[in-house]
Amino acid sequence: MKVELTINRRKGIFEVEPNELLINLLREKIRLTGTKYGCGIGMCGACTVLLDGEPVLACLTLAVDADGGEVETIEGVAREGKLDDLQEAFLEEGAVQCGYCTPGFIMTAKALLNENPSPSEDEIRGYLKGNYCRCTGYVNIIKAVQRAAEKRKRIGKQEI
Amino acid sequence: MADHNSFHFLGKKTIRKDGLAKVLGAEKYASDLSIPGMLYARVLKSPFPRARVKSIDVSKSEGMGAVVITFIEMPRIRFCPRLVSTPEATYKDWRVLSGNPLYVGEPIAAVASESEEDAQRALEAIEVDFEVLEPYMNALDSLKGGEGLLHENVVFNEKEIQVENNIACRLEITEGDVQKGFSESDVVIEREFRTNRRYHNQLENKSVLVSPEVDGGVSLWSTSQTIHNTRLLLHEIFGIPVSKIRVHKAALGGSFGSSIQTNTIVPIAVALALKARRPIKLSYTREEDMRDHSSYQMIFRMKLGAKKDGKLQAGELNMIMDIGAHQVQAYPLLGCVVGWWVSLYKLPNLRYVGKAVYTNKVPSCALRGYGNPQTTWATESMMDELAEALGMDPLDLRLKNYIGKGDLFWGQGPTVKSIINSCGVEEILRRGAELIGWENRPKPFAQRGRFRRGIGLGRGYHTSSAGSPIPGTVIDYTGAILKVNEDGTLDYITAMMDQGGGTLDAHAKIISEEIGVPVDNVNVVVADTQTTVYDVNTHASRGVYAGGGVALMVARQVKAKILEFAGRALEAYPHALKIRPDEELGQAVIYAEGLTSKQITLGELASMARVKNWGTIAAVESLRPGSCPPHFTGYFIEVEVDTETGKVKPLKVVAGADIGTVINPDLAAGQIHGGFAMGWSMAILEDTPYSESGDLLNQGMMTDYKTPTTLDLPKLDDFKVFFVETYEPSGPFGAKGIGEGALNPVAGAVANAIYNALGIRFYVLPMTPNMILKALKDRERIK
Ligand code: FES
Ligand code: FES
Repeated sequence: MKVELTINRRKGIFEVEPNELLINLLREKIRLTGTKYGCGIGMCGACTVLLDGEPVLACLTLAVDADGGEVETIEGVAREGKLDDLQEAFLEEGAVQCGYCTPGFIMTAKALLNENPSPSEDEIRGYLKGNYCRCTGYVNIIKAVQRAAEKRKRIGKQEI
Repeated sequence: MADHNSFHFLGKKTIRKDGLAKVLGAEKYASDLSIPGMLYARVLKSPFPRARVKSIDVSKSEGMGAVVITFIEMPRIRFCPRLVSTPEATYKDWRVLSGNPLYVGEPIAAVASESEEDAQRALEAIEVDFEVLEPYMNALDSLKGGEGLLHENVVFNEKEIQVENNIACRLEITEGDVQKGFSESDVVIEREFRTNRRYHNQLENKSVLVSPEVDGGVSLWSTSQTIHNTRLLLHEIFGIPVSKIRVHKAALGGSFGSSIQTNTIVPIAVALALKARRPIKLSYTREEDMRDHSSYQMIFRMKLGAKKDGKLQAGELNMIMDIGAHQVQAYPLLGCVVGWWVSLYKLPNLRYVGKAVYTNKVPSCALRGYGNPQTTWATESMMDELAEALGMDPLDLRLKNYIGKGDLFWGQGPTVKSIINSCGVEEILRRGAELIGWENRPKPFAQRGRFRRGIGLGRGYHTSSAGSPIPGTVIDYTGAILKVNEDGTLDYITAMMDQGGGTLDAHAKIISEEIGVPVDNVNVVVADTQTTVYDVNTHASRGVYAGGGVALMVARQVKAKILEFAGRALEAYPHALKIRPDEELGQAVIYAEGLTSKQITLGELASMARVKNWGTIAAVESLRPGSCPPHFTGYFIEVEVDTETGKVKPLKVVAGADIGTVINPDLAAGQIHGGFAMGWSMAILEDTPYSESGDLLNQGMMTDYKTPTTLDLPKLDDFKVFFVETYEPSGPFGAKGIGEGALNPVAGAVANAIYNALGIRFYVLPMTPNMILKALKDRERIK
C-alpha cells in the first residue's frame, strides 16, 4: 500500500504493508533511528513522535493510519542547525544520561509546552508519566522542561 | 588537600560531549546500526524451564531460504561469558546454543533471513521434539536435589569438575572466634531476609550487529560494557585470531551490569555471520530481553552481637543465592557479598558461608551494586533492630561501628584488601540528620490514623574499581592513549564505555585540568579493540577512579612533551614554562610568565613539530589501581504509608555522598537521583516471580514489571543531594566513584522508614501493598 506522509517537513510517498507500524517505517525504511524501540507495547514512550502535533506512540500506530499526516520525529526538532529550547535545556540541566529515553521525552515535552506553555511541576509529571527512564530518576528531566518553558516565556517565544 | 576553587574545570558544570548527538536523535546505539546486505536474525528459545531436545528438524526453514544454526553444530566448548576474574575463579557452564535448555528463554537454534518477518517465519518452521523435565524453581529445592543435577559437571580452570547438590560454588570465611564473640555480647539478634529477583530494565534491549570480514575475522558492534572481553570471549569460542576480531564501541542505552558479560546473542550472531558470510543483525525484543538476564536473589540468615555500649562483637552470615541456570561468575560474588558485609561495620569475630545455587530460572548477573544493595538492605535493617534492642539512637550505633579512614577494607572480597584513606561518613550522617529533622522523627507505635509517616536511615558505600595492592583473583586494569593534533586539539582514546554517567566527560576534564587545555579541545574518540589498549570493563564504579587515573597519567606525559617542544620553540627552559587554557583563542597557550614575546599556542607548536620533524606529542599508558577506595553514601528517607491501601509514598529524600573531588557536579547528582529511583523500586516495586509452568509470570511484559514513573517519586524540592568535601589521595585529583554507592543504601533506608511509620519490620522484598496490609491485619488480630 502507498501512504503519503510529511516527515520532518518533507513530503514522501512510502510503500508499506497494511500491518506495518510507524516505528518500523521510520527506523527500518527511512533510517530515522532517533525514534527508539523500548517495549513495543506502549509502556515506555521511547517511540514517541508527533503526528499532526499530537504525541503518539509509533510502536502502536500503523503507518497507514498516519496517511496524509505530518510526522515530526526527534530528527526534525532542531531547525536550521539550531537546537530547540528543550534540546538545549536537556543538555544544560544534565537531563541526558544514557540518552535512550531522551528523544521520547523531548517529543512528549514539546507537545506539553505547545498545549501548556507554563506547566506546574505536577502538570509536567502528569504529562510525562508515560515516558520511562531508568537512569535519571526524572529529576533533571523535569528541571529541563521547566527551564525550557521559562526560557520561552522570557523571550516571548511561541510554539513553532 | 587541593584547593577545590583552584581547579579550572573540575567541579564545574560542562555540557556532556555525547549530549548533542543524543538530543538530536543522532546518537547510534547498537540497535540503531545497519550494514547494506545484512540479514536479520531471530533466536529459537526453549519454552520449558528444563528439557532435553530429542530431535530438531530445520529442513523447512532452510527450504524457505533461511540460514539456520542449531546447538548440534556449535563449537563443543563450554565458556563463561564474563571475563573479569582470573581462570582459577571462573566456572564455565555456557554453550552458544544448548540442547539441554535450563530456563525458559535459553537459545537452542537461530535463523537469519532477508527481513525480520521472514526470519520469524523461518523460526516458526523449525520442528523440535522436547523431553520435558521437572524443573527446580527455587534454590532450596535445588539443594535437596530430588530431580537430579542441572549440571553434572562444569569446567573449572580447564578441568571438568563434578557439581554437588546443585551448588555452583561456595565460599566460607572465618575470622576470630564467633562463639566467643556472641557469648561476650549483651544483645544478640538473628534474622532471615529474602530479596527479590529484579530485572535490569535498561531501556535498550540487547542488540548486536556482526559483519564477517574477508580475512576470516569479524567486526561487530554490540550492547557491551567491555569491547576487549567481548573480543577475548569470541576468540575463546570460535578460535578466530584475536587481532581479526574487531569490536567497536557503540553508545549504550543503559545496562546496569547486564552487559559486563558478553550478551547471549553475541556469539549466536557471530556463528550465523560465519555461516551465512553476510552481516547479521540480532536485536532482542523486550519480552526476550526480560528472559535473558536478572539480578541475584539472595536469602540471608544474619546474626549480630553487641555489647551494651553498642560495640559490635561478632557477626555471622549464611547466604544462599539463586543464580538461575548458569554462572555469570557467581564465585567472585560470593566473595563480594562477605566483603560488602564486613566492610560496613567492624566485626572483630565473623563467620560467613555463601552458596551459589543453580535453579531453572533466567541466569543472574550483576545489577548495579553486585549484591551490595541486597547485603546492605539486610545489614541496615539489622542495625536498626540492634539499636532498638540496645535502646540506642540508630545514628549513634552506626557512628560507633562504621569502617572509615585508617581501617582495613575488603569491599570487593577477601582477595581485594586495602586501607581507607578518605572518608566522609560522619559528615554525611550528621548533615543528613539535620536536613531531614532526625531528632523529631516519629516514634514507632505512636501513630494512629490512616496515613502514617516515618523517617529511615540507611548508609553504605561501594568500591571505586576492584584494585588492590596485590593481584588477587579480580582483573582490574585499564589504559589510555592521548595525542596532540596539528591544530592543538587532542584525541583521547579509551576502551572504557560511558553508560550515561558522564565517565568519559570526567576523563576529558581531568586531561584538561592537568594540561591546561579547554575541555572542548579534548576529543573522545569512538574507538575499537584494535585501536585501544586493554580495559577490563566499565563496571565496579571504576570509570572515574581507574579510567580517570590513567587519563591523568597520559596527560602528565603529554604535558611534559608539550613543555619540552615549547622549550625548543621558544628558546626557553621547559620547566619554567606554563600552560593556560585561553578562552579567546580557544586553545592552550604555552608561555613564559612575564615575557609576552615568549608564547605559542598548542596548535602552532604541534604544527611546528610537524614541519621540523620533531614528531607527534603522544602517550600511551596502562594502570592497575593499587586500591579500590570506597565512596560513601547515606540516605535519610521520609515515607508515608496509607494503612488502608498499603501503599507507600516517598515524601522526602536527603542524600549525602563522599565521592572525593567532584568532577561533574550535575552528572554526579544525576547518579544519586537515578540511584534513589532504582533503590526505591527495589524496596517497593520490582520482582520477577515465576509461574507454575516455570516461565516469568509477567511473560516478559513491561506492563507487569513495575519501575517508578514521574508520578512515583518525590517532588524536586523534596529531594536534596549534597556532597561532603574529601580528597582521595590515590584518585585522579582526589576523585572516587559514585555509580553504585548511589543505590546501595536505599532499600535499607526505606525499610527503616516503614518500620518507623508502622512499627512493623519486613524481611522480604519488595514490600508490596499486599504484604503491608496483611502485616497490619495480623497485628490487629494479635492485639
Ligand atoms: S516502544 Fe513504544 S511505548 Fe515502548
Ligand atoms: S537517560 Fe537512560 S533511560 Fe533515560
